[in-house]
Amino acid sequence: MYKTRHAWFFLTVPLILLSVFTFIPAIAAFILSFTNYNVFQPIEFIGIQNYIDVLSDHSFRNALSNTVYFWILVTPALIIFPIFLAILVNQKLKGISVFRLIYYFPVLVSIVVTAILWRWMFAESGIFNYVLSLVGIDPIRWLTSTKTVMPAMAIVTVWQGLGYYMLFFLAALQGVPKELYEAADIDGANFVKKHVYITIPLIKPMIFFVAVISTMSAFKEFTLMLTMTSGGPLNASTTVVLLVFKEAFERVNMGYASAISFVLFVVILIITIINKKFLDTDYK
Amino acid sequence: MTTTQPEKRLKSKRKATAVRMFFSYILLVLVALITIAPFIWTISTSLKGPGDAIFSMPPQFIPSDFTLNNFKTVWTSLPIPMYLINSMILTFFGVVLPLFFSSIAAFPLARMEFKGKNFIFMLIIGTMMIPNEVTMIPIYLIIDMIGLLGTHTGIIITSIITPIGIFLMRQGFKDIPREIEESAVLDGANVWQIFWHLLFPMVKPMLGVLAILSFIGSWNNFLWPLLILNDPNKYPITLGLYQLQGTFAANTRLVAAGAVIALIPIMTIFISFQRYFIEAAYSSSVKG
Repeated sequence: MYKTRHAWFFLTVPLILLSVFTFIPAIAAFILSFTNYNVFQPIEFIGIQNYIDVLSDHSFRNALSNTVYFWILVTPALIIFPIFLAILVNQKLKGISVFRLIYYFPVLVSIVVTAILWRWMFAESGIFNYVLSLVGIDPIRWLTSTKTVMPAMAIVTVWQGLGYYMLFFLAALQGVPKELYEAADIDGANFVKKHVYITIPLIKPMIFFVAVISTMSAFKEFTLMLTMTSGGPLNASTTVVLLVFKEAFERVNMGYASAISFVLFVVILIITIINKKFLDTDYK
Repeated sequence: MTTTQPEKRLKSKRKATAVRMFFSYILLVLVALITIAPFIWTISTSLKGPGDAIFSMPPQFIPSDFTLNNFKTVWTSLPIPMYLINSMILTFFGVVLPLFFSSIAAFPLARMEFKGKNFIFMLIIGTMMIPNEVTMIPIYLIIDMIGLLGTHTGIIITSIITPIGIFLMRQGFKDIPREIEESAVLDGANVWQIFWHLLFPMVKPMLGVLAILSFIGSWNNFLWPLLILNDPNKYPITLGLYQLQGTFAANTRLVAAGAVIALIPIMTIFISFQRYFIEAAYSSSVKG
């Protein structure tokens, strides 16, 4: 009924666009990473020099350790809290859908507005320090101290992602047969036992899925740091992609920046594989 | 009168349910408060007059010197309306064009058999694994090369077609039963007519999901406007607000009013299309 020319009639324009803005850039980034391209001088191939430089670059190591730190703070929190929240909103209670919508909303807020809001939350006499003062903790200079800036970024990220990841666990929970809980009730299992022995094993694929996507987004995060702190103080909140961004668009070292981004790509790939192995063996 | 054993058990069970409900609501409200605290604080700040302290211990949530002047000021003496118009232009094209182009790409991939189909499909899957952060630099250079730096077109063009959009629409077209086209062919319709008049209207649910995803992406787009635009007259609200925050850092009330204005459109759309937003959340996760 359809002929090949029909298919190409529809596909040609989209494929050209896709090539120019996805396929070619991917290849170009790889090629660029072997050059010293910096806009001003003619392009020159320098082999794997950029990669050698990246591995010995102090600012790259700093950015990588910041990123790993951010990931460790964010990903477990974005698994544990959303599971609790999903269990909470999976009950049949009046008005529950309103709560779900409220929790979900922050993920829709633009990064600029988020940054503005949270800079005020973290101000020296902001709400955050006020709440801490209620339990007797002295005001913390969240965004201007190298020790607290990453935890502050993690708090914002968890705040923003909580309801988003909750939705995934909610979908998983709704697939757990109710009879299992009823059987556990008859056996006299309490809340903790029910969820440790029934819920967690059954939603394990979703836990893996969320672990992978939140890991990837943690490793790629940079607009939050760019808008809130520009990577400061003393580069304490400079993540790998923020370093790529600064190298590429502030110092115009396009070749070097491309090399960093490929190293990051490989790191993400490795972590995803380890993550999968780790959770798979646990499963068996 | 003495209560019997089963009645007692029923009563204690009811009591347990009531206790659980009570604690559930306390937790629900607590988390909701944490979630909305930054918004409430910002809205209240935007409504505060000069007589109210902004940062105080304890924080003051209800303005005593209530005023709408901050909104008047940002609206009339700052280019906020222009930023909003720019955002609307970028968002309009950033929603409509992906809907059209993803659909025409997805239609043959979902319903036709032809040479090279698998290859194209593998290519699209392959690029989904490459993070945007890697392709950011070459895309910028390409936009520069084709002379679109500093233009709205340069921003729109990067988002016209995405692998995720093609995937979503392909799923939509696949779900339509085969017989529908067959009867149309018998009636003498050509391929374009089949696509545009028959199948396209049938993928509305997927179009809704993709529209929401594109809307969020376009309205909140910050990185590409930041990289591509240099003329403040072309700034969307995100970039405009970013600049305001820099220049008016001291005037928290005005920045707060600007932030509230930027929040209103996305909130309105969210409340009107909740169902699609939840769908969109699930579909968007394919690309992390």
